Amino acid sequence: MLRKVILVGLIGAMLAGLVAVAQEPVTIQFWHSMSSGHQPHLVALVEKFMEENPYITVELTYQGNYGDTEDKVNASVVAGAPPTIVQLYENVITPIVEVLYPIGPHMTDAEKADILDGLVPNNTFDGVLVSVPWNKSIMVLYYRSDLIDTPPTTWEEFAQMAADLTVDLDGDGVIDQYGTGLRPYNPEMYLNYVVQNGGSILNEDWTAVTIGETEGVEAMQYAESLVPYSYISPGYLSDALGAGQVAMFIDTSAGYYYNNKAAVDNGYTMGVARVPVGPVNGKSAIQGTNLVVFDLGQTQAQKDAAVLLARFLIRADNTIYWSLRGGYLPVVKSAYTDPAWLDYLADHPEAVVNSEAMVDGFAQILHPNYGQMRSAIGSAFEEVLLVAATAEQAVANLVTELEALLSY
Amino acid sequence: MRRPRLRIPDDWRSRSFWIESGQAYLYLLPALAILGVFTFYPFFSAFRLSLFKWSVVHPPGTFVGLRNYTTIFADRHFWSAVWNTFYYVGVSVPVTLFLALLVANLLNKPLKFRAFARTSFFLAYITPLVAVAMVWSWMYNWHYGLFNYILGLFGGSLVNWLMDPKLSMLTVIILSVWRFVGYQAIILLAGLQNIDKMYYDSAKVDGATGFRVWWHVTIPLLTPQIFFVFIISMIGSFKVFTEIYVLFTGTPGPLRSAETLVYYILRKGRFDGTQLGIAAAASVFLFAVIFGFTIVQLLVTQRKVHYQ
Repeated sequence: MLRKVILVGLIGAMLAGLVAVAQEPVTIQFWHSMSSGHQPHLVALVEKFMEENPYITVELTYQGNYGDTEDKVNASVVAGAPPTIVQLYENVITPIVEVLYPIGPHMTDAEKADILDGLVPNNTFDGVLVSVPWNKSIMVLYYRSDLIDTPPTTWEEFAQMAADLTVDLDGDGVIDQYGTGLRPYNPEMYLNYVVQNGGSILNEDWTAVTIGETEGVEAMQYAESLVPYSYISPGYLSDALGAGQVAMFIDTSAGYYYNNKAAVDNGYTMGVARVPVGPVNGKSAIQGTNLVVFDLGQTQAQKDAAVLLARFLIRADNTIYWSLRGGYLPVVKSAYTDPAWLDYLADHPEAVVNSEAMVDGFAQILHPNYGQMRSAIGSAFEEVLLVAATAEQAVANLVTELEALLSY
Repeated sequence: MRRPRLRIPDDWRSRSFWIESGQAYLYLLPALAILGVFTFYPFFSAFRLSLFKWSVVHPPGTFVGLRNYTTIFADRHFWSAVWNTFYYVGVSVPVTLFLALLVANLLNKPLKFRAFARTSFFLAYITPLVAVAMVWSWMYNWHYGLFNYILGLFGGSLVNWLMDPKLSMLTVIILSVWRFVGYQAIILLAGLQNIDKMYYDSAKVDGATGFRVWWHVTIPLLTPQIFFVFIISMIGSFKVFTEIYVLFTGTPGPLRSAETLVYYILRKGRFDGTQLGIAAAASVFLFAVIFGFTIVQLLVTQRKVHYQ
């Protein structure tokens, strides 16, 4: 009897100790790139998190745009003093994986299974879910619904419609309205075509460049065929849309607010549709960053708190909150059947398109040199759009550059 | 003029010499410390870094010898950046200097509102470059820009200043010339006002007038200032970056047509941070070019500089 009493007492003391340890105050640093438009919503989310977890204090610090944040994170890793949690693109995560604290092993199986399938591979390193997706957007088709009744659904329809809608309205010999718009140095536009044609940038084990194969060349040739009917813009196409210079274009869903405003302010109406389907599929590029937790000088309590924050931010209710206010899309499957999201869809049909596209999207690859590769892909795309090279020449040059990056 | 030579002071054995020297170095210490940390250390680090394949997690990474140099020499974009840089330097430096000489001469004359004119020319230099470049990007705008409007008044057709690869460097050069003419003119003006009038009187006595006086009296006596302006202008021009970054909204111009060496270094050093070694190699190359040019300038032009 006495032994039982002692045993129960010891177990009780251990549990009490564990609870005491778990509740010890902890402060974590969250570096982010969310500027004035998005920041208040992020602050609201973090405050909600701190209310649910009163022993955790989150120090939010805005570090500038994505490029600035990446530079600072790299510098902080070299200095051995990175923040606890930060948002990063995949290619920036790859070189620093060994100093990260994997989030996946500290999630439930249900939580991991709930992440959208298309977002899992590019957050997985050596079979372990290291990071989690956070602020994601997808490429969609914006079109002037006052000019187009039924948006194109295939490459062929898109090209034909672009040609038909390219017109000289006042007969002065200068084209006033282009069927579509293209942005030089926008690699995702070209990568959409590559993937929809069944191609890829590299092979599966990253030992060879595959974008130069038939699929990649045909994708570039398709883009080349659109050039005569395209308004070529160095910046976003919302201005051209508002000026009546372009009838439809493919761009990120995060630009919906600006595109719609440009259209409405100038008396047009705008619709959103899935990107036209290519010869193989209708996949669209997913953009946006992921959350990582560092394991370089952080205490266990800090790492645990940061993992809790990451799991909180991708929880269905919170990813919906973030998406509704930030122009992003939920990153977990359960959000897409949540009543709050379904109510939003009922009032915002464009979000239906975004939701469907998101479930079927593709993310960027994890190669450590992807940032430089993306730059090279953008340059090749630009050469074709500005008629400085044929599709074949541009792709051949691109392959040479990518092979150099692959072998570095 | 005899060149100054280094000589050891005669009193170097005395205690007071060392006390005074020590005091001097003590006063210099803060500046030397800052220079050491922010100039000398990064300078030598770049040489070391250029021999490594950078690793963020295990800096400086893997030793690769001269591989970073062979990589940049095999990169067509590197040579394109070299060409763009030399094009920019080769045009902007002499054009700016020539115009600055003309402006300095004008400002040296007893004109009405001379003070206002001097201030106006110098304003271009002291206005923040980012603001200047933003305004100029609008002046270059294809549809709404001031330059195309003026061209239209004279019956010319619209020029796509910022989207035509053939015009990219020219747009940067025009902006740069506008910005630096006033600054250089002020320095040359100081030199002009420092020339002793007796030289002009002697020239007058000998019957020289106009251009001959300017060429045989003014220019030779202005060579110290011309030499100084030429050197700093050339060194600064090799490092052109901000004008390009703002004019072309964060890109190096259409088809990378305005990508200079500094921009190339930035592109290699950013993104995923894996190519810092290559960026460092390009930096060393840029240093060697500037250093080489400066030495050549010193050797060739020093003989032609006349100090009064």
